[in-house]
Amino acid sequence: MVLEMEKFKEKIKTCLQNEPAFCTAACPFHLDIHDFMPKMQRGGFNAAYRTYLNTVGFPGIVSELCHEPCKNVCPRRLKDEAIAMKHLEKAAIKYARDLNPNSYNLAPKNKKIAIIGAGISGLGCALRLASKKYNVTVFERTDRIGGHLWDVLPPEVFLADIERQFMHEKYTLNLNTEITSLDELDFDAIYVATGKGGTDFGLKPDPEGAFASDKPGVFMGGELCGRNIIEALADGLQAINAIERYIKTGNMNQPKAKDKTEILINTDLISYMKPVLPDEGEVFTQENALYEAKRCLRCSCDACVRHCDLMSYYGKYPKRIGEEVEITVNPGTLDGNGTVATRLISTCNQCGLCKGICPQEIDTGDFLLQSHRAMRGKGAMPWAFHDFWLQDMEFTNSEAAGMCKLPKGFDKSRYVFFPGCQLGASDPWYVIESYRFLREKNPDTALILGCCGAPAEWAGDEQLHEAAVAKLREDWISLGKPIAVFACPTCRQMFRKYLPEIEGIFLYNLMSELGIKPSPRVNGDTVSVFDPCTTREEPELQHVIREIAEKAGFSLEPLPYEGKYAKCCSWGGQVSIANPSFAREVVKARISQNSNPYITYCINCRDIFDAAKKPVYHILDIIFGSHDKDQMLPTITQRRSNRINLKHKLLSEFWRDEAIMEQKESRIKLLITPELRQKLHKEMILETDIETVIEHCESTGRKVQIPESGHFFGHLQIGKMTYWVEYLPEDGKFNLINAYCHRMSIEEA
Amino acid sequence: MADNKVIICCKCKKELIPKKVYFKYLGHSFFTDILKCPDCGEVFIPEELVKGRMAEVEMQLEDK
Repeated sequence: MVLEMEKFKEKIKTCLQNEPAFCTAACPFHLDIHDFMPKMQRGGFNAAYRTYLNTVGFPGIVSELCHEPCKNVCPRRLKDEAIAMKHLEKAAIKYARDLNPNSYNLAPKNKKIAIIGAGISGLGCALRLASKKYNVTVFERTDRIGGHLWDVLPPEVFLADIERQFMHEKYTLNLNTEITSLDELDFDAIYVATGKGGTDFGLKPDPEGAFASDKPGVFMGGELCGRNIIEALADGLQAINAIERYIKTGNMNQPKAKDKTEILINTDLISYMKPVLPDEGEVFTQENALYEAKRCLRCSCDACVRHCDLMSYYGKYPKRIGEEVEITVNPGTLDGNGTVATRLISTCNQCGLCKGICPQEIDTGDFLLQSHRAMRGKGAMPWAFHDFWLQDMEFTNSEAAGMCKLPKGFDKSRYVFFPGCQLGASDPWYVIESYRFLREKNPDTALILGCCGAPAEWAGDEQLHEAAVAKLREDWISLGKPIAVFACPTCRQMFRKYLPEIEGIFLYNLMSELGIKPSPRVNGDTVSVFDPCTTREEPELQHVIREIAEKAGFSLEPLPYEGKYAKCCSWGGQVSIANPSFAREVVKARISQNSNPYITYCINCRDIFDAAKKPVYHILDIIFGSHDKDQMLPTITQRRSNRINLKHKLLSEFWRDEAIMEQKESRIKLLITPELRQKLHKEMILETDIETVIEHCESTGRKVQIPESGHFFGHLQIGKMTYWVEYLPEDGKFNLINAYCHRMSIEEA
Repeated sequence: MADNKVIICCKCKKELIPKKVYFKYLGHSFFTDILKCPDCGEVFIPEELVKGRMAEVEMQLEDK
């Protein structure tokens, strides 16, 4: 575990979370799109203008002249069209309330700085230095400021902008003053911006520092250094960082600004949005600007927080998660205070999408699984988060519900059907029909009713998981090492990971190979296939499912998240006890991808969507056609009795003379209203546990009564959970009025 | 539901009265006043308490 944590810490260093957006990197001014665009998107033109002003110095000039290098790197250009930044900038200017710069009341600095050349680069540098209250002197060879601007813009445009930006600042301007030698200047630093073809005083650029020349204290930039007019302004604005560093430290080694980014954007996941053209002439209306701003993806390497449900729910990137998990697993204090991420660790669906969408393949999910194991190992993970499902797993493997059998007359089999725990729990019919089909085609097909070990894996219980895997291996060997036929993609994934020696195939692929005729639907409804997250790397299966659905007469419409981007229905990791609100949000997001009914091929996806009222079919519903299936989803209690019934039915149909199964009669008869039954289901209270509590109360006499209503109350701790019942005996039966449970235990003397 | 109502212990036929009861969860121990039989110690916890304050404390301890 320590090693795994260290590995993750190393890997996390490659995270690109803080890399700039493409446009920001390419922009000569490095305009921070994450600052500018959210303001535009909410119609905050004034705030957006402030950002723009602070970045470019002369907004009026830049919004006219910028050559928009951002457009060549905007990922939208590959989908529809690059964001029209210049139009947005102009809109920010047009709709801003106040165009004037701020006046800053700073103490004057007693440092003198000379700027040679009053072109845009020199003026930019002068503006920044003057606003920081340096003593600035600009020397200009000609009789006017602006330099090259006179050739490219009407003077009223740029002169007005320059005048406005300098309205609060003072500097000394020496026109008609040609500097012929730097030696004649007595200043703390000099910025040389003499323009294209201007004098360079024999200076050479020093590659060690931004804007540095080979002469200490002398910097150079702008068109003199081969830059275009916009870059020249950017140079002037940015040179002051190098100048200030020199003034403070005497060094000329200001790092050069990065004009590249490492981020990668998956254009598959960008949805088309029509570009906007200005409604009125050259400038956007406010509505135009809002719409166009909303097209901006605000690129950053944030695929994880955009697409991973956990990271998006918590708003945390892998790095932050790594830090929080580390202090949770290894708390700094003895009493374990500050273990902030316990619930977060237990909220991961273990779907693996995080690694799949991260350009650096940072596997946060695996890290969380390792952390879960570490917490479990230390006994620091609250038992309640997984207790129900671990008990469910035990039940699946118990004598009542589990079995491993060869058909009579065979001592080994080619295939073994492994339906998994929940298919038969949802409806025994699915398993029986499938097994009947398999037996018809291959009479030696064996059967294992049991658990793949996923609940133990998700609970971080390594011991239990290893035992489950060992049992499966033993069973498989006892059947003659058959090919396993999986109905559940999670089982398949677990076998691939922990039992790679077992060859496997999906039930649906095998059915398709052996030939099935799904009952045709004449109405040709449009549906969407919901790929379970565990099939992300099973393209063949995804294809077969679509083939079957189409054969059945459905027309298919794709979902935003499918195929290799399939997302979890919320079942994965069995997180709903640890984080119910997260699980609810995930379900809501999944079912609202579109309004079509879904076809899925994981029974958990099916049942979860059905419970959320989304029309949904399991692929077996399509293959075997309609049946007199109870329309109500089974409760958690029924899911257990369904598994008992499944075993019983299978034994009686396929192993006739062995079908002597003791059907355990309930000890007491409970009367429960349908409403209460649903409540118990929602609160994950088994009716069998309720029976145990009432039995305890009745046999020990340990109960209390409200004389007014006659209702009895009693409680019992079963395992770690304490259950309360409120009931009324009625003709030898017990009318259950209410039941509830709590995790803390009562310390009874 | 069971608020302010007389509650009787079926074994001792005594009325339950508020008394200190200890609870334990995730290695933490704490106590509060709960309706309890003065003789045998049988307790009663209404659903409101379970779903309210108790669930809150459970959650705090899980997140501690």
